Amino acid sequence: MIDPHLLASGVIFGLSMGSIFFLMTVGLSLCFGMMRVISLDQLLYYALGGYLAYSISQATGSLWLGALGAMAVGGLAGFAVERLIFQRIYERDITFSMITSFGILIAGVGLIKLVWGLVPRPVPVPITAQITILGAEVPVYRIVVVAIAALVYVAIWLFLHRTVIGKAIRAGIESVEHVEGLGINVYRLFSLTFIIAGALSGLAGALHAPLIMVDPQMGLEVLAFAFMVVIIGGLGSLKGTLVSSLLVGQVVSIGSLIYAPLAQMAPFAVMLLILLVRPTGLFGSPLLKR
Amino acid sequence: MIGAFKWWRGLLLAFALLGLVGVVLPLPFANEVVIFSIYAMGCNFLLGRVGFISFGQPAYLAAGAYGTAFYLFYFGSNPYVGILVGIAAGIAVACAVGPLFVRLRSDYFALVNLALAVIIYYLMQKVLAGVTHGDNGLWFLTQIDATPVLDLTRPDHFFVFALLAAFAIWAFYKYLDDSLFGACCLAAKVNEDKLRFLGYSNFKIRLLAFVIANTTTALAGALYAVYLGFVGPEMTSPARAADPVIVVILGGVGTLYGPIVGAIAYTGMKDLISKAIGNWELLIGVLVVAIMLAGERGIVGSLASLWKLAAPGRRAAAREGSVMR
Repeated sequence: MIDPHLLASGVIFGLSMGSIFFLMTVGLSLCFGMMRVISLDQLLYYALGGYLAYSISQATGSLWLGALGAMAVGGLAGFAVERLIFQRIYERDITFSMITSFGILIAGVGLIKLVWGLVPRPVPVPITAQITILGAEVPVYRIVVVAIAALVYVAIWLFLHRTVIGKAIRAGIESVEHVEGLGINVYRLFSLTFIIAGALSGLAGALHAPLIMVDPQMGLEVLAFAFMVVIIGGLGSLKGTLVSSLLVGQVVSIGSLIYAPLAQMAPFAVMLLILLVRPTGLFGSPLLKR
Repeated sequence: MIGAFKWWRGLLLAFALLGLVGVVLPLPFANEVVIFSIYAMGCNFLLGRVGFISFGQPAYLAAGAYGTAFYLFYFGSNPYVGILVGIAAGIAVACAVGPLFVRLRSDYFALVNLALAVIIYYLMQKVLAGVTHGDNGLWFLTQIDATPVLDLTRPDHFFVFALLAAFAIWAFYKYLDDSLFGACCLAAKVNEDKLRFLGYSNFKIRLLAFVIANTTTALAGALYAVYLGFVGPEMTSPARAADPVIVVILGGVGTLYGPIVGAIAYTGMKDLISKAIGNWELLIGVLVVAIMLAGERGIVGSLASLWKLAAPGRRAAAREGSVMR
């Protein structure tokens, strides 16, 4: 019923969407797993990343430099916000962090409007070449995005499983008290988690920027998708985030091939179905707030 | 008799103040404030009494608004019937999603509700564009009939009606607070295991509270529709998702007067700031963070503690007031 060429390009389109969703939500998920906070400000670093990619690629002509800048600024901003704001609210209820970080997100949107103005801005695609896969013309840039996301996943996995600090973070996701008992300064781990999360969100924004236009509301526009990804995958699970972001990417892409408005509706239906079966998502742990 | 007077005293005072707002300030602003405080009341009940934070209140607001709009645009012209249709739509939506949502953990609850709001946004903007006219919205101001006694097409009469509606809802929530059901809600927030041991069903209590709160929200939506004579998908956009939560926190979570004070402060600030610099997000965001860091007590909570400090002789009265709420 669908043209196979269209389907092939749809799948690759979905893969690249899923990769961006993954980069965008892995920070949210890590922060929840480690600190039990919902860090909506990650979407601000995503929007900031998009704008930095715009500004830096305007100035130097290279999106990749922009992506690096976005990562640096995202990490720094995450660090600053964690030190100034989140450290004061770790003890509070989880919804508390959600409201606070939403405040940060809204303030950041205001800041972006102040600095860059209201007008959406186009960001040039760094690789304009197309290649043919299974008879479908696919922009190389989308493949590069998928490759970068795969690299990031492998790097995070190696970091969490093969380094001492990573192992401490994984242990912290299981039980912070025990890690503290081993004499490890968990607040340093918290800061580190936030830096990683912020940098990845910034990277997501920078990589997404050429595919869309950057505008001040871009963080709010992807908010629902970010939510759906973390809910489907289960908060705090790296594997769950990967699986569900790829799933949501495909649902959005294939859904829009069948019937355009489905792109926004279908992930929501999938989320409801999964919540009916598993109220904590596919890979979410049933544990409550410590 | 005296007990009844005490029960009503605070409410009458609050509404006398709110009525004064309507007399002193320009009418569009006063109408906005009253509708917004009804909107915030539902959220206040969810957040302060049941412990559910919902970032998806615009979804139920839109259910009420579109229910009313569909009736007034396509079927009838009586605004009162329209409002009833809007409320019915709100109840229907809340009953449809409630059984699924209230089972969720509080963090998932907040996320799922926001997702629902966004989905309704897309539904109204794109999928049902044939019926809802997409971004252009439905305009039906001229199709609303003038009604006897309280003519809702006139802003001043509308203000009286909205004030009465707000008052009724306020009294209802105050009654709930004193009732067994209110105690159960609070218990479900504090410790659901103990509530279960007492033989109550968490699920039923939460579902009922959820439906009540979102019916209130739908009423606010219906009032918006009748007042503006226009409904567009913009009201459920994610950027506005936190508005009621911010108002509730600004006013003071779980306090009786919080929603009024929050609505006045928020609407006023938004008006003033957007007139002055056109960039209200920055200020609202910073304000939210500041209030959260200061300890979540909001304007009413902070004023109450100031009041206690300033007037030691009235401490007993203040304590009595806090027991009352």
